Amino acid sequence: MLTAARNLWRKHRFLFIAFITALVVTAFFAARLVLFSLYWAEPAHQDQPVEGWMTPRYVALSYDLPPGVVREALELEPVDGERHTLEEIAEASSLTLEEIQRRIDEAVRAQKGDRE
Amino acid sequence: MTDTVFLLVATYGSAALFAVTFLSCLAVPVPASLMMLTGGAFAASGDLPLASVSLAAYGGALSGDQTGYLLGRSCAGWLERWAEARRGRAALLGRAHASVERWGGMGVFLSRWFVSPLGPYVNFAAGAGRMRWARFSVWSVAGETVWVALYVGLGYLFASSLTAVAEFAADLSGLVAGAVVAVGLGFWLRMMQKRHGRVKG
Repeated sequence: MLTAARNLWRKHRFLFIAFITALVVTAFFAARLVLFSLYWAEPAHQDQPVEGWMTPRYVALSYDLPPGVVREALELEPVDGERHTLEEIAEASSLTLEEIQRRIDEAVRAQKGDRE
Repeated sequence: MTDTVFLLVATYGSAALFAVTFLSCLAVPVPASLMMLTGGAFAASGDLPLASVSLAAYGGALSGDQTGYLLGRSCAGWLERWAEARRGRAALLGRAHASVERWGGMGVFLSRWFVSPLGPYVNFAAGAGRMRWARFSVWSVAGETVWVALYVGLGYLFASSLTAVAEFAADLSGLVAGAVVAVGLGFWLRMMQKRHGRVKG
């Protein structure tokens, strides 16, 4: 085995390096996949925090809220118009992402309360 | 990085998808799979129509494949002249043509979605190796259908946990591409080793 490896190294150095690199890349992604799966398996890590790229409708979907409730929490017109991201909404109003997160969490709690 | 991609799709919608799937077929390093997941998620939330997301991604991918194939094809004559200059090169090109003939269809199909990082190179190689245009196109259409349906579909189904799906998909696709390349190079090394054995014996 060792002799074989030494031989390959001597005669096909480029090919051998490429092969080892491919193995390392494979192992890297396998490790990432396992680590991320373990992380994701914890229920506490499954919540997606509110971020600038999200739209009100996406927040509604992700947090399982009616779209109207999200629009109300963000002080938006109840009518659905164009597609705006939270980043754009925050820029146009006095809201920050933290404030949006707080309001969404509150809306989730209120919804849960209503259901129980 | 991931957030920028999400933001691009949210801002430019289907046009961004068309541009990115097109470029990804020409070996431009853009995160096309991630964009399609995002497009699927915004379709699920009602921000983008599912049909326009799918058609834009599909149109970009198909036209990208054709462009890559034509670029490769335009180099075919030059490659053949280069190969004719020496016998060793001619034999190598002959072997390459034979394997395109034998494996080309399946290679094009699988490099669309299963080992998608290899896709653009397969486009160039198929053109340069003079794979028949109709054969290339049929497999490209079939493969891109799977690619687009897979990623837009996953994005749509798992929209509410988009960041997690994106991470899973990226890792899995890296894992598959790495493994396929490793196995291919392993076979090649083994072949080389055997050939040396024969020369010695």
